Amino acid sequence: MAQKRIELPQGTLDLLILRTLALAPQHGWAISERIHQISSDVLLIQQGSLYPALHRLERRGWIKAKWGTSENNRRAKYYELTKTGRKQLALEKDSWKKLAAAVAQILETA
Amino acid sequence: MFNDLFFRLRSLLRREVVESEADTELRFHFDQQVEKYLKSGMTREEAKRRARLEIGGHEQLKEEIREARGVHLLETLFHDIRYGLRILGGTPVISSVAVLSLALGIGANTAIFSLIDTVMLRMLPVEKPEELLQVRIQDPSSPNEEADATFTNPLWEELRSRQDFYSGIFSWSLTQFDLAQGGVAHNVNGLFTSGEYFSTLGVRPAAGRLITTADDKRGCPGVAVLSYGFWQDHFGGAHNAVGSTLSLDNHIFQVIGVSAPGFFGVDVGNKFDVAVPICAADVFDGKDSRLDHRSWWWLRVAGRSKPGVHPDQLKARLSVVSPQVFLAALPRDWEPKNQQEFLKRSLQTIPAATGSSDLRRQFTQPLHILMGVVGLVLLIACANIASLMLARASARHKEIAVRKALGASRMRLIRQLLTECVLLSTAGALLGVLFARWGTSLLVRFISTGNNKVFLDLSFDWRILTFTAGVAVSTGLLFGVLPAFRCTRVSLTSAMKGSQATDTESRAKFRPGKWIVASQVALSLVLLVASGLFLRSLVKLVTMDLGFDRNNVLIVRANLHTAKVTPERQPAMFDQLEKRLRSIPGVLSAGRSVMTPVSNYVWNSDLEVDTPNPPTGDAALAFFNFISPGYLGTVRTPLLAGRNFNDGDTKAAARVAVVNETLARRFFPNEDALGKYFRVHADPGKPRPPIQIVGLAKDAKYESLREEAHATAYFPIAQIPEDAEEQVFELRTAVPPAALVPSVQEAVAMVSKAIPLEFHTLAEQVHDSLVQERLLATLSTFFGALALLLAMIGLYGALSYLVAERQPEFGIRMALGAPRGSILRLVMSDVVMVLAGGLAAGACLALATVGVLEKMLFGLAPLDSSTFLAAIGVLSAVALVAGYLPARRAMRCDPMVALRYE
Repeated sequence: MAQKRIELPQGTLDLLILRTLALAPQHGWAISERIHQISSDVLLIQQGSLYPALHRLERRGWIKAKWGTSENNRRAKYYELTKTGRKQLALEKDSWKKLAAAVAQILETA
Repeated sequence: MFNDLFFRLRSLLRREVVESEADTELRFHFDQQVEKYLKSGMTREEAKRRARLEIGGHEQLKEEIREARGVHLLETLFHDIRYGLRILGGTPVISSVAVLSLALGIGANTAIFSLIDTVMLRMLPVEKPEELLQVRIQDPSSPNEEADATFTNPLWEELRSRQDFYSGIFSWSLTQFDLAQGGVAHNVNGLFTSGEYFSTLGVRPAAGRLITTADDKRGCPGVAVLSYGFWQDHFGGAHNAVGSTLSLDNHIFQVIGVSAPGFFGVDVGNKFDVAVPICAADVFDGKDSRLDHRSWWWLRVAGRSKPGVHPDQLKARLSVVSPQVFLAALPRDWEPKNQQEFLKRSLQTIPAATGSSDLRRQFTQPLHILMGVVGLVLLIACANIASLMLARASARHKEIAVRKALGASRMRLIRQLLTECVLLSTAGALLGVLFARWGTSLLVRFISTGNNKVFLDLSFDWRILTFTAGVAVSTGLLFGVLPAFRCTRVSLTSAMKGSQATDTESRAKFRPGKWIVASQVALSLVLLVASGLFLRSLVKLVTMDLGFDRNNVLIVRANLHTAKVTPERQPAMFDQLEKRLRSIPGVLSAGRSVMTPVSNYVWNSDLEVDTPNPPTGDAALAFFNFISPGYLGTVRTPLLAGRNFNDGDTKAAARVAVVNETLARRFFPNEDALGKYFRVHADPGKPRPPIQIVGLAKDAKYESLREEAHATAYFPIAQIPEDAEEQVFELRTAVPPAALVPSVQEAVAMVSKAIPLEFHTLAEQVHDSLVQERLLATLSTFFGALALLLAMIGLYGALSYLVAERQPEFGIRMALGAPRGSILRLVMSDVVMVLAGGLAAGACLALATVGVLEKMLFGLAPLDSSTFLAAIGVLSAVALVAGYLPARRAMRCDPMVALRYE
């Protein structure tokens, strides 16, 4: 089962995190679960790389963290998108689409 | 950017909280994951194992988070600082020499800069200072001169009644008030203010109320406002001070209030103690009041700009108002020609946000020169530290090679070395600020004279702090960059082999050291030349023949007007006082006059003579003094021909004069002036009696030591044309002049206890007139010596390093039979080369720059060859000594010891 999953290309994790948080604030575990679900179990997120990425995004000011209580009533760190994060998401989404389109075109024609 | 820094700092400073937060977060994730697997039906053991596998090493992950949070960069900075401190602490002597020389350099720069800041740049501590405009008078007959800042009271009143173009306008005048009622004067800084002064400046009272327009009406009762500082010093801040009375020049004034703390007046360099309304001038002046005087220039005027009035509009309004103001305040008794010129004058305004100041005019140039001097000193200090760092960095050759071999990047090493430099310069700057505080107050005391206490608000402002911080960082980089780049360029193999540098290699390595030392020599030479020039100017001024003998003369200033003696009784009383003073034991002779030499006061007028080509214009101007028969003998101005005055030269007798050589030569060229007549120019309708020259005196300095001899005429004091309510006694003493003060007081008190007295000595008066010159000479000599010392340390250090490096080579040479003298020659030839290069560069630099000093010098040109030669001589001697010590060490080394090193 692990074999058919794809490793995430460099730099796309940030985009996925931002996209996930665009819906609602989430804690780290929920983010990884959600990406997992939506991508129909295709994408494997190294849990080890999720947390450094979250802290890096927090440092850049794209997301901010708040302590809250989880569904099962435990203290958990929730992340939410900031205004600059929202802008960044739009930008990255755009450039990702361009990249994907360009790569696809090359694969078709070459 | 800011967010980023804050985030990193929080991570660093609140480390424990952040760490435990990360722990909690990861633990939560782990538990969630375990729960998920439990739900899917795994056993607890199995679920935990899976989760642990997926999430990876807990500590590893935390380290990655730490890095993601950007703790790293700051942490290495702290490491660098800690390591740097340890390294610097390892060589305490070198480090303290470096910090101390930097502190002196930075401190001197900060001190001079803060003077420049307070005297020239700082805004007045009043409401919206940028709106203030000073009103001046432009005289078209002397277009090149700076506009005159002083007004007569009629001019001020006419301007005030016509003004609608300022939101407020006020006038003021500085003066001195004597608080003592007779006896030794207790002078305080007085201020005449118009009623609008405090309100226009936006100054609030700290107690009571301030002077208003209601207080400034003709015939006003005497009221006074105290400055906050004076209230504290003189009244101890007591609240009943308001409502009490104060005696000013023997007139009683009621204190109505105290101005806010922090307000000193609008004249930089002066702080007021007591302010009275302008109308109170009547109280002091009596019948001939300056309020109605149309040629008594004593007021300064400033206004606050009106919002919405454009400078051009203001100019246009002023050009309309000017003729009206000058016409209304025309001096009626002036000659028609002068009246015409008076009417052509016009008003103009200049920004006055930084206040007005005579200090500024006097010290702008000296301060700029000193700024240049201390800048050079700092450069020399930097050069010194650069060579120290270079030497030390080479000593750390091995350490650097090891760190590089272990994988440190070059940038990382450079950063470490630069951190050390910035540490040094920061320490230097902190210490320097202390030096600067102390230095500035010392400087202010230096430029204060007995008669003119300079007051400056020396609190640090953002400008000074920015300046110091900028200087500290740039010096750190300046002396750090070169060594850091050079010594991180190590060849790993040779360093690891542990071999000493070979001859050629060490020569190459030393090259930048030579450059540094040579530039130090060059800069020191410039400083030495400048200080030599200032010193020689001062010596010339001090040792010059003044035409009088300044030593052992006590000057006693007595005012009979303040003592309320009627004008008719004054001459007799002055005569009586002179006789009494002459008979005091210890007084060799006594004289009396209205002017004293070099006292900042002048009395002059044009002379008219009946010769074919009489001098005209400025040449016709002569300077006057009215003297008793004892004066010339007491100040020891020799009488060259004719007679001195005597008791026969009374008011009723024929008018006579003693003139100096310059006057005689100028007005009576090629003939004997004795017995000739001249007249003093006077306005129409005034008498112009002929005055006969009865004596010829030697030229003496009148106004300043720098002047070319003024044409001077002495007249009998009995024949003075107007009342002279204040006269001065000169006493030639057999003992130190100050010792006679009590007996003079006693003698005067026998005549009247109400007479206020001021005491000075002639020597002190001459001394005080040379503040500028003394300031420049003292400071530039001090800094010149400092530069010399720094250069010497630099040369000594650089050569010691070179000698130590080449010790094995010298050993080999000696083992092979080289005589000791040849080793000495080898080292000294390096010294001489560096010295010669430095001197040549320095001489060029000095030749190119000393021209700016010209105005500040006296009796010699900037390109004074003997000063240059002396500076070169001193510098060479010092450099040769500094070079000889290490050279001798090289010569004396034991070849065996040197060789064993290898």
